[in-house]
Amino acid sequence: MALKGFGAGRGAPRDPFRRRLLFLTICALTGFLVLLGQLWYLQVLEGARLHDLSERNRIRVRPAAAPRGILFDRNGLALVDNRPAFTLSLIPREMEDRGTVLARLSVLLRVPLAELTEALARVPPDSFMPVRVRRGLTMEEVAKVEEWKLELPGVVVEVEPQRVYPSPRLGAHLLGYVREVSEDQMRQGRYRRGELAGQSGLERLLDEYLRGRDGGEEIEVDAFGRPVRVVRRQEPRPGAHVATTLDRHIQEVVERAMGNHAGAAVVLDVRSGDILALTSSPAFELDHFTGALGREAWLRLVRDPQAPLLNRAIQSQYAPGSLFKIVVAAAALQEAVITPFDRLRCAATFQLGARTFKNWEDADWGELDLYHAIVRSCNTYFYQLGLKVGMEPMARYARAFGLGAPTGLALAGEKAGLIPELPGPKGKRPRGWKPGDTVNISIGQGPVLVTPLQVARMMAAVATGGILWKPRLVQRVEAPDGRLLYSEPSQMTGYVDLSPAVWAFLQRSLWGVVNDGGTGAAARLPGIEVAGKTGTAQIVTNSDARRGQDHAWFAAYAPAQDPQVVVVVLVERGGRGGQAAAPIARQILYGIFLERVASAGGSG
Amino acid sequence: MFRFDRRLLQNVDWLLLASALALVALGLLTLWSLSPGRQGSGVVWRQLSWLGVGLLALAAAASVDYRNLVRVAPALYVVGVGLLLTVFLFGRAVSGARRWLPLGPVTLQPAELFKLLFVITLAWALTARWANPRSRATLASALGLLVVPFVLVVRQPDLGTALVLVPVFFALLFGAGVRLRELGWLGLAGLAGTPLAWVVLKEYQRERLFVYLNPFRDPLGSAYNVIQSKIAIGSGQFLGKGVVGATQSRLAFLPERHTDFIFAVFAEMWGFVGALLVLVGYAFLILRGFEIAGRAREPVGRLLALGVTALLGAQTLINLGMVMGLLPIVGIPLPLMSYGGSSLVITLMALGLLLSVRMRQSL
Repeated sequence: MALKGFGAGRGAPRDPFRRRLLFLTICALTGFLVLLGQLWYLQVLEGARLHDLSERNRIRVRPAAAPRGILFDRNGLALVDNRPAFTLSLIPREMEDRGTVLARLSVLLRVPLAELTEALARVPPDSFMPVRVRRGLTMEEVAKVEEWKLELPGVVVEVEPQRVYPSPRLGAHLLGYVREVSEDQMRQGRYRRGELAGQSGLERLLDEYLRGRDGGEEIEVDAFGRPVRVVRRQEPRPGAHVATTLDRHIQEVVERAMGNHAGAAVVLDVRSGDILALTSSPAFELDHFTGALGREAWLRLVRDPQAPLLNRAIQSQYAPGSLFKIVVAAAALQEAVITPFDRLRCAATFQLGARTFKNWEDADWGELDLYHAIVRSCNTYFYQLGLKVGMEPMARYARAFGLGAPTGLALAGEKAGLIPELPGPKGKRPRGWKPGDTVNISIGQGPVLVTPLQVARMMAAVATGGILWKPRLVQRVEAPDGRLLYSEPSQMTGYVDLSPAVWAFLQRSLWGVVNDGGTGAAARLPGIEVAGKTGTAQIVTNSDARRGQDHAWFAAYAPAQDPQVVVVVLVERGGRGGQAAAPIARQILYGIFLERVASAGGSG
Repeated sequence: MFRFDRRLLQNVDWLLLASALALVALGLLTLWSLSPGRQGSGVVWRQLSWLGVGLLALAAAASVDYRNLVRVAPALYVVGVGLLLTVFLFGRAVSGARRWLPLGPVTLQPAELFKLLFVITLAWALTARWANPRSRATLASALGLLVVPFVLVVRQPDLGTALVLVPVFFALLFGAGVRLRELGWLGLAGLAGTPLAWVVLKEYQRERLFVYLNPFRDPLGSAYNVIQSKIAIGSGQFLGKGVVGATQSRLAFLPERHTDFIFAVFAEMWGFVGALLVLVGYAFLILRGFEIAGRAREPVGRLLALGVTALLGAQTLINLGMVMGLLPIVGIPLPLMSYGGSSLVITLMALGLLLSVRMRQSL
């Protein structure tokens, strides 16, 4: 007998191991008895009812999608919202004569037959789960389907919440688009077929918060597939709401100001590092993705040579041009290479060995001090200054200003820019380094690249006297019941340690660029004092004979005496910074300070 | 070590072997009846060839002296953990989980093999010359042996397999004579750790945990599976619907019907009578396993037999409980009956160890 080994029936065994073994045996037996009881309950007591269920027909599951969370701007204005939309779905199991039904549907709604068969081919033919084949049906189409309902077994129209945008391009790159999950995403196991998921920008970053939890109903249906009763219902749980740092008014102003120019613009709150607006143009239309974006339209978007899906503010890297002179000046003053009183010659050309470097204007401006060299953005002055400062300090100060490293913005794909590696000990130059490179770098050309967001952060450091912010895009994530799920405080990631006199000098010089007959005069605004710096980034392969092909920069903060916002504008192939970018920055600053709508509590 | 003593053959537990094979046969029958056509026979043939491999593994495990096996336990453990790590690097992902290692034409599930290696290692750690089950040090080292692979398996993610390790761990400690008070503390600490992890996790991570808990990746879907499984079992009633009448299973209402939910298929076809037979079969195996443990003369054999039996018992009880809707759905196959090579071969190998202990207990 099985239990003989324990000496069962003769009281508890003496051997402690056998005593414990007996206990384990009893545990296992108890488990089996419980299972036996459940088996009896299911098969004998409940058997008839369950048999009935299996015979008559069975339980269907009808999913109900959760509305995605809403993204708000800093003043509580919605940046995206939801509205109910109609989705055409097919239930494979209920489509008895599949070919006929699909053909009818294809004719009725003018949907290519291939699209329908393709959607069905990906799921088993006996599945009860609705396959979503087309989103965003019009009322007219819904009416047609309802009208022909009896001829279309297995075809249903579901109501799903869908994204709706106050204006389709507003913050397109920041907010990101929502689209049905790809096969790849499904393979990773986080999504079910037919689900919508954020695919770029904040929608993607915060997808886990925004998506909520889908609910659904278990319904008992009869032999004809008609619902008899709801067995169980699980309400969908809406996604969490997100308070961003954006200011919808400023974002609109910025996008209007950028107009049709390709490029990027960033507005940063100097006092917190909050991103008030960020745009990249050309942009794409968010609501193209929510409906049935065909393969063709998608390819057109992806292959567009203007790359509208690229977020130029963080994913494109440009030479900083004369913006870099801020770094060179800071390094020169702090390292005491020069004082504000020393003068250098600002000639039309500068000769280094056999190479000739030009100023941007073919004229000799005589001897200039540092202030005037910045204000007039004299290249030949800075060639000499750069050689005096040296390669290593310039790179070191550039890194201190946050260049050459990602700013830490949470959005995917942020580029680091490029600052040359620091040379080895004892001033050894990196391999392949020529003095001509040092000359080039001193006016922000050559192997230096920055993103517009990095420039904005650098300008905020100048405006605040050294604070390097981590740009913040999300303030809070709150569950629909108000529970705080996530919050992000303003965060300082570094401090540029210059003496107060140096800061004061830099700030005064940038004021001069706009207000003292400098290159940034086009950004001058009555009533608000603007400080800024122009930049013109030569495209490496182009000679200066094709000036119109250069990228135009303007980086500003305002008001100059009490800085609140940083505005950075980059116009691709716009020409000179003072002519192409500064007027746009002016328009943005005008919108922020002088035509501000009465949005309560707004900052900036 | 490999010299075969003829007296060993006289001590083979034929009854244990026969009942195990009977359960395998019932599994094969169920697989065949799910789709009797050409398509179905492919599944059956594959499972039959795995049965061949499994029987060889069983014979091999039975003929080796288990004491020698336990002696090299540390090496086995290292190999096992190494395999788990390899899954991380080279594993093949199937529906979001990285559990399989491609090995030529077949894929291996290292977590299955590891369960067995874990039992052997723990038997070694609790009986080695320096080990004292009443000392804290031994307890701590045993806990360490559990934690490392547990984390690795959870990360795959294969919560089911990881959870099976826990009752096996406690059964072995209990059998080794660890003080009840200390076992209690350990259990309490484990329980206390659970809500702690819950608090530490973020909202969306908790949601993911739900997803781990459920192999079909959405709460609604898994509820659907349990309902369909219960309907399948219940509708079998007392005598079953037979092969042809088992609409729930045949018409694919049942998910994972070849693997985790095979018992529901069987119960629909053969009713309470058939299901009872299966339950008795498993219960017999478990009791027999504990009996072999009780009869073994030395601690290594005792713990090995106990561990193997606990492993078998835990998997069986959890799978059946889940299929009958008593436990949440974690993906654990039913030993011997479920379709799947790794599981069948490893289970037969485990039974081989059990036979080995039994064959050598009177020598």
